[in-house]
Amino acid sequence: MSAPAVARTPAPRVRRRSPYTYLAVVVGLLVAVSLLEVVTGADDLTSSGTISATLVATVPIALAALGGLWSERAGIVNIGLEGMMILGTYGAGFFGYHYGAWAGVLGAILLGMVGGLIHAVATVIFDVDHIVSGVAINIIALGATQYLASRTFVGLPGGGSTQSPTIPSLPSLTIAPVSDGLQGLEQRNVFVISEVAAVVRALTTNLSALTVIGLLLVLVTYLVLWKTTFGLRLRSCGESPVTAESLGVAVLRYKFVAVLISGAMAGLAGGFLAMVASSNYRDGQTGGRGYIGLAAMIFGNWRPGGMLAGSGLFGYTQTLGLRSGRDSVHALLLAVAVLALAVAVLQLRRRHVRAAIGFAVAGVVVGAVYFAIDEVADDFTRMTPYVITLLVLGLFSQRLRMPAADGESYRKGSAG
Amino acid sequence: MAALLAAGVMSLGALSACGSSGGSDSSGSGSGDGLKVGMAYDVGGRGDQSFNDSAAAGLDKAKKDLGIETQESEAVDGEAESAREERLRTFADAGYNPVIAVGFAYSASVAKVAKEYPDIDFAIIDDEEAKGDNIANLVFAEEQGSFLVGAAAALKTKSNEVGFVGGVETPLIQKFEAGYVAGAKAVKPDITVDTTYLSQPPDFSGFGDPAKGKTAAQGMYDKGADVVYHAAGGSGGGVFEAAKSANKLAIGVDSDQYKTVDASLRSVILTSMLKNVDVAVYNYLKSASEGDIPTGVRRYDLKVGGVDYSTSGGQVDDIKSKLDDYKQQIIDGKITVPTKP
Repeated sequence: MSAPAVARTPAPRVRRRSPYTYLAVVVGLLVAVSLLEVVTGADDLTSSGTISATLVATVPIALAALGGLWSERAGIVNIGLEGMMILGTYGAGFFGYHYGAWAGVLGAILLGMVGGLIHAVATVIFDVDHIVSGVAINIIALGATQYLASRTFVGLPGGGSTQSPTIPSLPSLTIAPVSDGLQGLEQRNVFVISEVAAVVRALTTNLSALTVIGLLLVLVTYLVLWKTTFGLRLRSCGESPVTAESLGVAVLRYKFVAVLISGAMAGLAGGFLAMVASSNYRDGQTGGRGYIGLAAMIFGNWRPGGMLAGSGLFGYTQTLGLRSGRDSVHALLLAVAVLALAVAVLQLRRRHVRAAIGFAVAGVVVGAVYFAIDEVADDFTRMTPYVITLLVLGLFSQRLRMPAADGESYRKGSAG
Repeated sequence: MAALLAAGVMSLGALSACGSSGGSDSSGSGSGDGLKVGMAYDVGGRGDQSFNDSAAAGLDKAKKDLGIETQESEAVDGEAESAREERLRTFADAGYNPVIAVGFAYSASVAKVAKEYPDIDFAIIDDEEAKGDNIANLVFAEEQGSFLVGAAAALKTKSNEVGFVGGVETPLIQKFEAGYVAGAKAVKPDITVDTTYLSQPPDFSGFGDPAKGKTAAQGMYDKGADVVYHAAGGSGGGVFEAAKSANKLAIGVDSDQYKTVDASLRSVILTSMLKNVDVAVYNYLKSASEGDIPTGVRRYDLKVGGVDYSTSGGQVDDIKSKLDDYKQQIIDGKITVPTKP
């Protein structure tokens, strides 16, 4: 595990950022992407279709990442997110089909919590290695859902051993006047204005209630973990459980609750996949998104905002690849080339000559590839999310800091 | 952490592989004096509403008509090669002959185990790689069926743009794409055909991820396509949903999906490319029961009813004569359908 090594490096000062900074970043990104669209002619980069698909791709990853965040902030590594998501997809399928859409959401949360409960009992009470327990949960969840599905879905209309019947859909929001009114503006391709119209259209067309809830949970998590006493105590269990206990915090109880909430979040992520991203439980539909969520959380430096950005980046690049990938990913190459050259200049100004040369060469090579080919082969478009994530992690990983006692075992009474 | 993730994923694969050896359930016996047939399903087994179910239907029909004894067993997701080999050996040791393996995943194991049991006959569906004197390869001319649904798409499109969503980019799925594109272009040479695949091997998640199918199909409908054909297994449900929300059409695959999808989605299914695995299994067993066991490559094409297009829902009724005309031309050899895009 490379992370503890990172943890020992002194933590960089985290600057407080105002909400306006985030707004500026979003607007800046929008302008940059608009510019890219104009230069490359890849007009699917900011269509409202792409943006709403990005939202749908982002939320399950973000929810899984939130699950990871809750647990790791309390010091419990949760590699079982994938398994808890799988349990969530089944919960949504079973309860959603039999008792209605909202029961499906609750079912997903409930079954995710069952996964969380197993992990909590194993790691918090019996002090099992976090990784071993997490991997075990991934295996158990897969087998258990396959077994349950073959017991409960066979014979139902549209159901079978590998899929549930169709789950009734959750309410979704469409503000027709706004959505239709902006359609013309979006299609007219006015620089930046059309992009803003596309974003607004995506948010007013078929926006699922669960998407809104998912995004709100990110905010709620931030508020609870960073603005309440409960949150402070919970995080203290992940930073220094000994200190926390010596100050009277019931460390084990906090850890237990954190892992339960973690399971609930991951379960909801699975529920979202089954109910919003598609409309039934399907064997294997999580497709590693739990692991991606874990990566997004690390990418985001164990903080809600960063984790959301990581999930969004992943969701966006994945969506581009799946939609008109050959053009859009081709356009992204140009963006990567320009970014690499910019970093090269930055490094040069800091007198890091070797790094500057490295980035400059990378930028020139990627740029050359951009001009040499007209579209990117499918083999590469599917890799894009992973390559971009690796690139960004590579650039920023020096600044990551995980909770100090993350993954370490803790016995009650260690404070002496 | 990345290394850790990788280790976690790998150990997940390895453990789940050796942890389970696949449930095998006996399904009784027939009249007894006939054949004893062992059937090894791919992941999903009975109830997958796809080719496993189709193979099972062929087996059931043979059991009823021919009075054979059967035994079945199914694979589990992510299992090791040795687990598949062991499944086949179990059948062979228990005196089942012939043994039928459903799906190309069994390719290597059939080739290996067939050598160990020269007196037992094996059949494998969807694979031509496993060769041997006692192996029958039951394969399908998917490109021919796909040609017909491609023609149907081209006859129905108003925007002159249609799409194809493949599950995983394997040579098998490329056959579907090649036939579909050829069929569409035969009707309208200037038509635009968007193609995409949801995942690249060895990542087979593209067959079971409806969310990805939905996103890919939505992208095509947004671009202007109005008919999308999927050869993406379980991800196909997402393609139908995208068609529904875009108010456009989609084409199903393998079985008559009009009959198996949720009632609310039926209106979007133009037709389905039928791959009649049941016909292949039944014919194979029929020959076997007559003492004439087939070996080598057996291609089930339009001519013998191995592939076809479906008409449920009535959306292709008005173009049926044109499609049947193409069908006849393929059967007569006047049109040769490519198998590679």
